[in-house]
Amino acid sequence: MRQPKRRFSSHFLLAQAAPFMGFLASMVVLVAIVIFMRENPIKAFEAIFKFSMSSAAKLGAVLSISIPYYLSGLSIAIAFRAGVFNIGNEGQYFVGGLVGALAGVYLPMPTALHLPVVVIAAMLGGALWALVPAVLKAARGISEVITTIMFNNIGLALVNYLVNGPLSGMAKGVSLEPQTKKILPTALFGKLNGFFRSLGWKVPDYVYLDYSLIVAIIMGVVIWFLLFRTRQGFEIRAVGTSVDVSRYAGIKVQRVQVGAFLLSGAIAGLIGLQEIFAIRGFYTYNIASGLGFDGIAISLIAQNHPVGVVFSSLLFAFLKQAGYGLQLSTKVPNSVTYAIQGLMILFIVAINAIIVRAVRSLRKKELS
Amino acid sequence: MDISFLVYFLAKGLEISSPIAFAALGGVFSERAGVVNIALEGIMGVTTLTLVWGAITFQSVWIGLVVAVFTGILMSLIHAVVTITFKVDHVVSGVAINVFSIGLSRFLCQSFFGAETQSKINPYLFPKLLGINSLAFWLIPAVAIAAFVLYKTVFGLRLRSVGENPEAADTLGVNVTAMRYAGVLISGALCGIAGATLFADKWITNMVAGRGFIALAAVIFGRWDPTGAVLASLLFGYADTFRIIFESRIPIPGQFVQMFPYVLAVVVLAGIVGRSRAPAWDGRNYEKGED
Repeated sequence: MRQPKRRFSSHFLLAQAAPFMGFLASMVVLVAIVIFMRENPIKAFEAIFKFSMSSAAKLGAVLSISIPYYLSGLSIAIAFRAGVFNIGNEGQYFVGGLVGALAGVYLPMPTALHLPVVVIAAMLGGALWALVPAVLKAARGISEVITTIMFNNIGLALVNYLVNGPLSGMAKGVSLEPQTKKILPTALFGKLNGFFRSLGWKVPDYVYLDYSLIVAIIMGVVIWFLLFRTRQGFEIRAVGTSVDVSRYAGIKVQRVQVGAFLLSGAIAGLIGLQEIFAIRGFYTYNIASGLGFDGIAISLIAQNHPVGVVFSSLLFAFLKQAGYGLQLSTKVPNSVTYAIQGLMILFIVAINAIIVRAVRSLRKKELS
Repeated sequence: MDISFLVYFLAKGLEISSPIAFAALGGVFSERAGVVNIALEGIMGVTTLTLVWGAITFQSVWIGLVVAVFTGILMSLIHAVVTITFKVDHVVSGVAINVFSIGLSRFLCQSFFGAETQSKINPYLFPKLLGINSLAFWLIPAVAIAAFVLYKTVFGLRLRSVGENPEAADTLGVNVTAMRYAGVLISGALCGIAGATLFADKWITNMVAGRGFIALAAVIFGRWDPTGAVLASLLFGYADTFRIIFESRIPIPGQFVQMFPYVLAVVVLAGIVGRSRAPAWDGRNYEKGED
């Protein structure tokens, strides 16, 4: 059951409507919860607005938060396109981030070289952590859903050990959070705020619009080009649409899936860059967790399209700020935003299923 | 090593295994009917919370158990509607329900107890037997009942047939949709019991801690068979018990000990290939009269 061919523009538009309708439906639920908690919905939406878009600083914060979300969503999307469920990008970014940070700590070199080196190191680390589940899937047919979840737990424990033990950068007896040594200044990510201000967008300096934004944009363009403009991308999409047909057409299904899986892991390795190289300047076990799971939702909402992920990651960043706004200004707890995110996926996929069926029957009528 | 320690180890292991085992039994019913249910994890988190709420509110842990089972059924109903009626990909729906469950349980905890990450202490506990939650011993009759229902009843035959070959089942007059709903709802109810065996005396956010996912590995390792799945769960559970009891005495870093059950799961999965076959229609949606 793939998306219908783009034969009739009205049907094409209809097929794109699911994300919007799902978003609206989940907002209705949010309003219902706000009313249920005896709060004024207008006041709640004022709080949300105030926290997410009332100033250049707030908008900048939304953009900043959306950067790791985008990379996470992109990572899931490329895997999904090949029919691979990479639930392991959580572990992949913890490991990838550490490998990147090590390149930043222990490899002295000039900035022009150091920045690409740490990015590539992070990608290699992420791909490494996807390797075993990818091989197990391809060679032995083991569901990647379960192995990647196991590898998340293994990866987190491993990173925790390394940061506490052999790679610890702390003098003994210092009670800071366990962390690596400081990343060399040549590898730190600078900010683009000045550039944005020169364009007339007045983002203050405390908002993190750093080089990771450039990394995200480059990755988005590369993945888009790969998926829609190359033979490999065509093969990935073919495999994701139908393994049987692809095999019949002579595509090496296993090889394509392993490739997409590793690429997904490599992009996942970049999720932590912003926090490690721009915000903290060292690696710790306490970098934000859960971004990998958010990526699944972000990619699904965008129907696994690299351009759609831009919007859905901004949406998730907005929701995050909205959650803080609600928490601080009303009795509605922050956790509501998680529930809303889960519901939003369910609404979108269900509405999409209904639309796909409706479009198909419409088309049958037109044909007969 | 004296005998009382051995009894303690065996009983403790059963207690630690039972949440995994009940969830795995649920997974067997759901997957035998052809629906992959990775929402087990999230559903357990919610049922554990509603159990604590039910026990405190009605001052009886048994009513709490009923509430938990009911919640499990309701939560799995979402999965059933989305996957069976709307024919959405099963893993997508499961992931969404897991995300939803995190928010829902914390939201409910906030509304019930006024704190987001942990509940009040619940003084109404299940009776103890051999020093552990007696509910864990239910596992033994539960396996027997599950195996009987699955292999010796008409219902079980129909349930397995829709997971194996829904077209043939449909032709023979089996209601595929109803059977699949039944499989998923049973898994939800069993998640309620799983949550009850997990619960100590209060609910803490993230207390399920991956047991639902380990249960899924146990389902595969146990070849989609109730007895096999429970034995696999016992393997994981006892491995974890061993870790907990001996953690302080083993001269290797704690993080490696923590990894152990997960590494074991991967190794076990990698080792059993070729000997374990999923129901033919597991994870696939069935549409009447489709090409």
